[in-house]
Amino acid sequence: MIVDRNWVPMKWPCGPLEIARRKKSGSTDADLKDTLEAWVRPSALEWLKGTPINCLIVEWADGRPEDSAQQQALKPLLEAGHKLGISFVGKLALKESAGAAVSAALAAGLSAVICEDASAQPSDLPAIQQFPRDKAEWERASTVFSATENVWPGLNLETMHGDTALAGPTGIPWVNSNAWFSMLARELAPGKTLWLDFDPPAASNLLHPAAYALAVADSYAYGSRWIISLDDKLRAALPKGNSQAQGVWKTLCEAVGFFESHRQWQAFKSQGILAIISDFRGDNAYLGGEVLNLLNRRQVQFRIIERARSLPALEGLKAILWLDHDTPSADQRAQLLAFVRQGGLVIAAAYWGSPDVTPAEKDPSLQYRLYNVGKGQIAVADDGFQDPYQVAVDTHLLVSRRNDLVRLYNPEATNCRSSGESVSPHKGRRLVQVLNYSSEPAASVALWVNDGMQSARFWQFGAAEARNLQGRPAAPGTEFDLPPVSVYCALEFEGTKL
Amino acid sequence: MMTTTCSRRKFLGAMGAAAGAWLARPMMSMARAVPAGRVAVGVCHEYDADVTGTLARMFDQLGGLEGLVRGKTVAVKLNLTGDATDRLGYFPAEITHWVHPQVIGATVQLLGQAGAARIRLLESPMSTAEPLEEFMLQANWEPRDFSSAAPQVEFENTNYLGYGRKYSRLWVPDGGLMFKGYDLNHSYEDCDVFVSLAKLKEHVTAGVTLSMKNCFGITPCTIYGDGSPVDEPSLTPRGGRGPFHEGNRLPSKSAPPPVNNALASKDPGYRVPRVVADLVSVRPVHLAVIDGIHSMAGGEGPWCDNVRHVQPGLLVAGTNCVATDAVCTALMGFDPMADRGTAPFETCDSTLRLAEQLGVGTRDLSQIEVVGTPIAKARFNFRRA
Repeated sequence: MIVDRNWVPMKWPCGPLEIARRKKSGSTDADLKDTLEAWVRPSALEWLKGTPINCLIVEWADGRPEDSAQQQALKPLLEAGHKLGISFVGKLALKESAGAAVSAALAAGLSAVICEDASAQPSDLPAIQQFPRDKAEWERASTVFSATENVWPGLNLETMHGDTALAGPTGIPWVNSNAWFSMLARELAPGKTLWLDFDPPAASNLLHPAAYALAVADSYAYGSRWIISLDDKLRAALPKGNSQAQGVWKTLCEAVGFFESHRQWQAFKSQGILAIISDFRGDNAYLGGEVLNLLNRRQVQFRIIERARSLPALEGLKAILWLDHDTPSADQRAQLLAFVRQGGLVIAAAYWGSPDVTPAEKDPSLQYRLYNVGKGQIAVADDGFQDPYQVAVDTHLLVSRRNDLVRLYNPEATNCRSSGESVSPHKGRRLVQVLNYSSEPAASVALWVNDGMQSARFWQFGAAEARNLQGRPAAPGTEFDLPPVSVYCALEFEGTKL
Repeated sequence: MMTTTCSRRKFLGAMGAAAGAWLARPMMSMARAVPAGRVAVGVCHEYDADVTGTLARMFDQLGGLEGLVRGKTVAVKLNLTGDATDRLGYFPAEITHWVHPQVIGATVQLLGQAGAARIRLLESPMSTAEPLEEFMLQANWEPRDFSSAAPQVEFENTNYLGYGRKYSRLWVPDGGLMFKGYDLNHSYEDCDVFVSLAKLKEHVTAGVTLSMKNCFGITPCTIYGDGSPVDEPSLTPRGGRGPFHEGNRLPSKSAPPPVNNALASKDPGYRVPRVVADLVSVRPVHLAVIDGIHSMAGGEGPWCDNVRHVQPGLLVAGTNCVATDAVCTALMGFDPMADRGTAPFETCDSTLRLAEQLGVGTRDLSQIEVVGTPIAKARFNFRRA
């Protein structure tokens, strides 16, 4: 048995082990205990009927005395689930050999286990490796792998945390998003599927339905999957027939269903005339991640290239951001200089071109030395790369908005991603996905695309069919007035020039 | 720091206007005669080829541009307020609150044809030191349209030091209403002719946004912005001009100080009109051009409450900014002689009156020669639109 990459995973916390865990953390009460007991019953699976969710992650063993009781309690749930075609993944939180727990898992018919500790990974049961995202081991990642320590997507209403500003200096609403990490994972673990593990924030009331839909969209739109995780309030309210809770559940399932019915979009590649090169590891991880995050927030479309690998062909690129302080290898340097000579722009923290080239006159708004090489330029930051925000701003300006692929007007808390799929050497399908990170619908948002296509197939959650959306010429592209975007919409272009 | 030598009198003489009426030391008195100049009103319903023809006719009605600009460096302050992505509904910025590129292009072309040696397009984009061309591109404008409209067209973001080596210090004649002087980007001093190219619209704080209020944006936020350092200008601008509005803090200490009692009032309706009057006094406007083809009513930008798109179908130009703004105010359905408490100055002092008192020009329509379409025929009431 192998891990099915098409699993739609959901956390299913229930049973004695979860109750014990909650007791220890002091986060339980009578209502929660009732909920955790209720969700271990087979009847709870009723909620999954008619939804795309087909894989439940259950607590299996963490070395507590309750492990055995947990596995016993889960048996009826597992049997009922199997009849419904649901797969189960057991979570192992063991520091030592998991032999007994794995044997029990095999006997109970678990399809896989998910575990953080490499030493606990079984050889006779598929394993989904899980790691904190700042300790990603890309090469060792399993076919389906999972990252923790992600953020709950949405508008960050706090602007300060102690002395640290959480908003950009221009006052652009700061949004929390895992998008950059999903894009990074696609490049550094190509061909593998990332499950993002994050839980809803604790709240005194039920979360807004849009919050769950956004958690789905922020993952799927960038090529990963969210391990669906309901908050305690929602899980308590659902079995009681609470209509508001049912509305939240419906919205969430609708969002997942939408993306599952457009699974082919997951194969689309990020568009971009800018490539960002780094190893994204060790000392370079923080700067790399932040720059990806901030460029994405500016709607700059980019491709990611891992530094350690030999550089791919650079056709179609106009600029390269060489993020690391390490200089390129001889081969990489030759390739980059050839790129510059042909008219490309390389942005770097240090100059490694020919020593006989002197910098050209500076633009006072940019703290960069510009070296003209052939038809192109190498832009070198006067003080290296210090502040990721400034690196992102400067990169956008050095590349120039003239090369933007997309722009949003009245963007507020919206963002977008442009991706594409070639269907012939010169034509392809292009997809621009727009996400709203606010709980309020985004009104009067206009999307500009650098494409002459005058109409697009317009998709929204809940709509089985796309509708035609007419654009208006806005040279050198087209502008589309978007209907109010509650969480997500997508514009699909056929026959576009990629 | 340098002191300005820019002479309003010299320009008015060249234009054949009432230069003799203007005295080197304006007095805070209504009794003194102030420049009036001529104001041309043109009807133009859309942003099409007619814009250039209409403006050309209007400039001819003013006496022609050639005497003003031939062989000169012309600085053109554009009116591009707010962020480049801000819109009123789905309307592009230029249809509501920004001067339209067609009007800019036509003006540049006509300035070039009149012999301008160099044309500098200037604006201080919101909270950024990015090149002005990049700011325009973000609005999906094409800067090349302007640079190809005339020889030697340049762009400069004046919200910071820019290409200058130091800020230009311009002192307000007679001491100023709010500050004794202002430190500005060099482009506002390094020019022979200064053009304010503005939008015909209301302003929540100042009543109207016309050629004078447009000059509020000539001040660099590195010194006058919310995020400017206490002592010296910052390298890049941060935030808007809150200190001018609310008086909650002083500009960087390197700049000229406020006049006595300038900090007494925290009322933006008191402070902003005075800053604007100061600015048009230190940096005289030689030519005011107002785009009122499409605009918005109710405020100066989409961030204001209860604003709406309007289409007055008007272009206005004049050689005196007070007179031009007075005619525009009348065209908008207001009385240019009105003051605080009366529309459009319900909550502010009249910049027109303050600038008039500084001797910049007259707001008295009876003293202004209006050419082209009469006000009565062209009037577009902003409050009823």
